This record gives sequence, C-alpha cells and structure tokens, in this order.
Amino acid sequence: MSKVVFAILHWSSRIFLGIMFIYAGYTKVDNPLQFAAAIEAYRLLPPAAVILVADWLPWFEILLGAVLILGLWLRHTAAFSAALLGFFIAVMLVTHLRGIEADCACFGIGEKISPLTLARDTLFVLPALFLALQSRIQARWRWPAAAF
Amino acid sequence: MRAAIRSATGILVVLASILQSPAQSQNGKANDTCDSGQPNAPVKIEIFSDFQCPACRTFYLDTILPILKEYASQNRVCIVYHDFPLQMHSYARPATRYAIAARRLGRDQWLRVCEALYADQALWTETGKLEPVVARVLSSNEMARIKKILEDPTIEESIEQAIALAVQRGIRSTPTFFINANGREQRVVGGVSYPILKDYLERLFK
Repeated sequence: MSKVVFAILHWSSRIFLGIMFIYAGYTKVDNPLQFAAAIEAYRLLPPAAVILVADWLPWFEILLGAVLILGLWLRHTAAFSAALLGFFIAVMLVTHLRGIEADCACFGIGEKISPLTLARDTLFVLPALFLALQSRIQARWRWPAAAF
Repeated sequence: MRAAIRSATGILVVLASILQSPAQSQNGKANDTCDSGQPNAPVKIEIFSDFQCPACRTFYLDTILPILKEYASQNRVCIVYHDFPLQMHSYARPATRYAIAARRLGRDQWLRVCEALYADQALWTETGKLEPVVARVLSSNEMARIKKILEDPTIEESIEQAIALAVQRGIRSTPTFFINANGREQRVVGGVSYPILKDYLERLFK
C-alpha cells in the first residue's frame, strides 16, 4: 500500500476517533445525573463507583479525543482507545446477554443496547486498532514515517 | 369618587392575582405547586410517573420516599408529582383515578395511596383489583368519600390534562424527572438510586 493511502487512513482514523470521543464526552458532560442513571442501569457498579465514572469519564473522553487529534503519544493513546472501546463493548454485551434493557449512553440518551449498537461500536475499534498497529510498526521499522 | 377608585383598585388586585396564580387543574393541584416541600425550596424535582411501571415503583419507593423524608420535609426540595399513565399499561389509568381522587381528599391521603399503589403493584397489575389496595391505607370514611369522588367525571379530565402536560413536556417514557436548581433544568430519563440523587443534591446545595 502506498504512503499516500497510509497517510489518508492515518489522518482519517485519528480525526474520526478524536471527534467521536469528544462528541461522546460532550453529550455526557452536560447532564451528569442522566449519565449516572444510565451507568446505574447496567447494574454492574455500586453507587459510589457510578458517581465516580459519571464525573470523570466524559472529561476523560474529551481529553482522549483531543490527544488523538493532536497525535500526542499516539502509540499508547491509540492502543488505549482500542482497549477502552473493547471494554465498553464487553460491558454492553454482558448487559445485553443478561437481558437488561439498559440505555447504551454512548452518545447521549435514548439508544437502547442492541446488536446494532454492538456492531457499530465494534466498527469503531477498527480505526483505533489500525492506528495502534501502524504506530507500533512505525516505531519499530521507522516506516512510513515520512508520510506523517 | 374615592369609592370608585377603591373598587377599581380592588378589581385590579383581583385580576392581578388571577393572572399571577398558576393554572389550577381539575385534580385540585396547580401544575407547578409542590406536593411536598415549599415553592421557595432551592431545588425543585418534577416527576412524571406511571403507577404500573416497575421502574417507577423502584424509583418512587427507593428514591423519592427518602427524598420526601430527608429533603422535602426540611424544605430543601420541592417535589412536584405528575401522573402519566401509559397506554401500554391496562390498569395504570384506573390506578391514576384512585390517586387523583385521594389527592382531592388531602395530601396525606394522596401520599398513602401513592405508596400503597407502588408497594402493592405486583398484586393489582395481575388482577386489576385496586380497591382492596387503596382500602388498606384509608379509613372506611375516607374510602366512602373516595368512591364518591371517583364518580365525578372531572377525574377523567384530570387524567387527560396530566397526559397532555406530559406530552407537552416531551415525555416518552416513565419515570422521567426534571431537576430545577440555580436557574437550570436537568432532564433525566429513567430512575436513579437514592445515594446518587442525594450526592447530586448535596452538590447543588454547596
């Protein structure tokens, strides 16, 4: 694959993931109580942990999105993004399999966990995995660094 | 001349008080008056709830009742309860009729009936037999009065008004509640446990 194609994939993945995380955080930060209610509906965490996650996760998502767009520590942030998205999917899958009708709360409220939301979020992992793998290869082989 | 000025002033005062008073609905409760707590409380919680909805039951019994005891009684929170019987629940409307009738008897009776309807939800959602559930928490005299009130056709009008208000506020599911504090309104779809709501309220009070 040419350097240009790699460059296009690299930038589109970074911008897509960055905007996605910033938007996801923005929809939650405005109404922390609603987000706390949504997390609690998963029936996985005690109230104290729900409050902690509801307080910090939205800001963390915004920060992660900004760092991805800026390309800072990309090898680590991309791998972390893939792991975080994988964790979200696992939590949603477990909740769905338990028969709990919880709201996904991925981008605001009003979207129940369904095979569709699971499939969509799985697709979101792909650009993160691409960035993580590419930045690792790039760090090892110093290729195709010139393109970026 | 003085008498004319006095009577004109009187008419103006009456008109102003009519214009200023909130719209009074048929169930004897203004749309935004507090069911518990005072209107000058720093936080107002408006709840839209359905007696037959299981999530509403948990939210009312586990969250709202402690809020009534801990916050509304100390005038830190004003609670406004709105009925929103969903069409999908066949006995929600009859249950709402009992609640509205109890509200017309008094706040205390209404609170007792609400708690009984939620606590015994599993009983009456199976059979639709609401009367024994309500009778358990009211005296025979109160029950006789409730039966009389239930014959009033304006009860149905009250339910329609309550549904219209919920639709106007864009409520699609129950429970949905609004927290008004510091000039800001937060809408929450679904219930939340008492420790989480308590933590949120305590932050608002700081």
